[in-house]
Amino acid sequence: MFRKFHIFSSIILVVAFLLAACGSPAPATEAPVATEAPAVTEAPVAATEAPIAELEGTLNVWSFTNEIRTMAIAFQGRHPKVKVVYTMIPMTNGEYQTKVKAASGTADSPDVVALEAAFVKEWVESDLLADLSDLVPLTKELKTFPSVVEVGTYEGVTKAYSYQATPGAFFYRRSIAKECLGTDDPEQVQAMVSDLDKFVETAAKIKECGTSDYYTVGTSGELFNPFLANREQPWVVDDTLVLDPMVEEYVKFAKLMRDNGYESQATQWSEGWFAGMNDTLVDANGTSKKVFSYFLPTWGLPYVLIPNSKSDTTDTGGDWAMINGPMAYQWGGTWVGALEGSPNSELAKEFVKFVALDEENLTNWATGVYTNEYLKAIDPSTPDDQQQALGDFVSSQVVVEKITNTFDGSDLAKWLGGQNSYAAFGQAAPNVNGALMTGSDDAIQRALNDPLASYLNGDITEAEMWVQWLDAVRNEFPDLILPEPPVTQ
Amino acid sequence: MSIAKFKRNYYGYFFITPFIIGFLIFGLYPVYNTLALSFTDTTLMSKNADFVGLKNFERLFADDVFMNAVKNTWLIWILNFFPQIGIALLLSAWFTNVRLKIKGIGLWRALFFLPNLLVPASVAALFFAFFSFYGPVNQFMVRYGFLPEAMHYLQSIPITRGLVIFIQWWMWFGQTVIIVMAGMTSIPIALYEAAMVDGATASQMFRRITLPLLKPILIYIFVTSLVGGMQMFDIPFLLTDGRGSPGGSIQTNNILMYMKFASSKGHIGAASSVGVLVFIMTSICALGIFYFLRERDDTVVIKSSKKSLFKKNT
Repeated sequence: MFRKFHIFSSIILVVAFLLAACGSPAPATEAPVATEAPAVTEAPVAATEAPIAELEGTLNVWSFTNEIRTMAIAFQGRHPKVKVVYTMIPMTNGEYQTKVKAASGTADSPDVVALEAAFVKEWVESDLLADLSDLVPLTKELKTFPSVVEVGTYEGVTKAYSYQATPGAFFYRRSIAKECLGTDDPEQVQAMVSDLDKFVETAAKIKECGTSDYYTVGTSGELFNPFLANREQPWVVDDTLVLDPMVEEYVKFAKLMRDNGYESQATQWSEGWFAGMNDTLVDANGTSKKVFSYFLPTWGLPYVLIPNSKSDTTDTGGDWAMINGPMAYQWGGTWVGALEGSPNSELAKEFVKFVALDEENLTNWATGVYTNEYLKAIDPSTPDDQQQALGDFVSSQVVVEKITNTFDGSDLAKWLGGQNSYAAFGQAAPNVNGALMTGSDDAIQRALNDPLASYLNGDITEAEMWVQWLDAVRNEFPDLILPEPPVTQ
Repeated sequence: MSIAKFKRNYYGYFFITPFIIGFLIFGLYPVYNTLALSFTDTTLMSKNADFVGLKNFERLFADDVFMNAVKNTWLIWILNFFPQIGIALLLSAWFTNVRLKIKGIGLWRALFFLPNLLVPASVAALFFAFFSFYGPVNQFMVRYGFLPEAMHYLQSIPITRGLVIFIQWWMWFGQTVIIVMAGMTSIPIALYEAAMVDGATASQMFRRITLPLLKPILIYIFVTSLVGGMQMFDIPFLLTDGRGSPGGSIQTNNILMYMKFASSKGHIGAASSVGVLVFIMTSICALGIFYFLRERDDTVVIKSSKKSLFKKNT
């Protein structure tokens, strides 16, 4: 039924386009939008834009995040004759991944898909994405961070590009640092958490100073990514599952954090975890609890930390600082790719180019140009909360260098007590390693969550945890060769 | 044969053709296709697939993940079905009881049915929020001294299973009440009047009149609930992490099938093998129910009535 409706509506669309193309007055009605939209941008840079024939057509874009919708609207502003049909499917429990897999190769297949770091590799490694290697020269021009391109490349063929680079950072509360560590100066605090042993020492100090009402982190799960980023080997080598020593280290570390009460035990992305960001975390007895720090990457700042730092009664803005923390890492990111066999392959490529490899767009994206008014001028049906906040970290080093200074004294810097986060991320980004990512990461890592939680609770032993994890992996990867469970004391 | 005669004899077939066609396309073909897929290593992410014989099935029995899922499904279904049918019988007996004359039956029935109208996703989200570590249930339990300190409810196997069982029961008992009540009200009132004249007690009437005459309805509920229960998915999937945590304790057949389908490469061949086994298991059990609960005393009734006829004649 639904599919029929799609076929019916696409026929209507095709007919409508034919009519629009035949009748000369039709484009004239669209013209005012076309002239208005660029007028809003100050002086179009158009550095990468060759005078190509005006693009037209309909493009189906699927994503798990509404950021891509902002991009889609901006793309329509650039190419007024293009219509982007945008579909958003949440990523909860892998729903988005499943839908895209099921739709690819059918009549409902989208032209462009957004791919999250956790599963982008499995798509890049498959036959389903179109080869976009001829855009690689643009990445040289824009000095796209090498790890970003590396993730989108498999066996020499580049299939997906990203507008973001996602080095990670360690955000802490200045007031708690002053009270418990004697200083809130980023350099001195960094020295106190520069490796894991020091980090644990500092955690003990914070617990003691806050009479157990202060937690160092919301959950030790936040450190999973930093540990994974410092492995020697990826999860899968030659169809064999590799258990890197860093993973075992992480399990030990998480147990230590739990047993000593250094973490609040709030699960990531749960109410309690967010509550810690604005000091409204209250335990079951009604005692107020505070969380000292959060491990979050570039996007965590504008999308997670800042929006959640305010509650009805509290506001922790300005009380935060940002440092590298004990380990360098990266976390997340959104890539875009075009599906193989799409009838709109040229348009799809143009969209990918616009999203990830267009200097003007990346600049607008990071500097808060895409406001509600801007987007509504292009598409009046834009929802009210669509605007792109200031400060997402982009993948092009050229753009990063150009705009870093504009963040001095910005709202973003005030929120961090004067620090320029963009400059700090700019230093960390070139060191990110993209080679550790494989197509199986998402499922392998998700399979560890539950056994680990049971182990941390003391419900099962460490040995049982590894067995449960290997059983779960075996059931999702029938062809993978599994190692023996590690020997535990 | 004239057209008129053909029409008279066969026009019924015209009326059932749409169903037959629909059944062949949407009912039989998927079953056949699932069976065919279960013998291959088809994935969604690559174009070539090979025939692998029974390998998918062998893998299912290589460790106890599959058997664990089957056990979970049965456990959750049985523990929610019997309380459900028990409560439904009790409530229906009260509501249809002529002596009790309960007021506002329609309102009660609507109230009991209401949970069934809720979207499973929001029910699961609600219970997830209630029972999270910093949630209201922990606050209540600790502040009023029922627990010494906050606990992770959704990481405890018995509590999580209990929650799934409770939610399933709570969402479905209203539906069962409605069907059982419909069955009870269709029993001729004259039978109860006659029993009352003979001095039968309420429990005697329930056991000797209501239950036997309700049997076809009960079998219907039994079988539909079994089929639904074996395919239980939404609540256990959404309540925790979509993998049946903690410890795989609420991982049902369908969650396992979905996990194989949704895993990195989309192993639909392996997922189909789970589907085939669940289909076989459900079919055998449903046929078994029909067989063991069939009307065994039909022949006896006929014999005795014949005898009585005979007696009268002589």
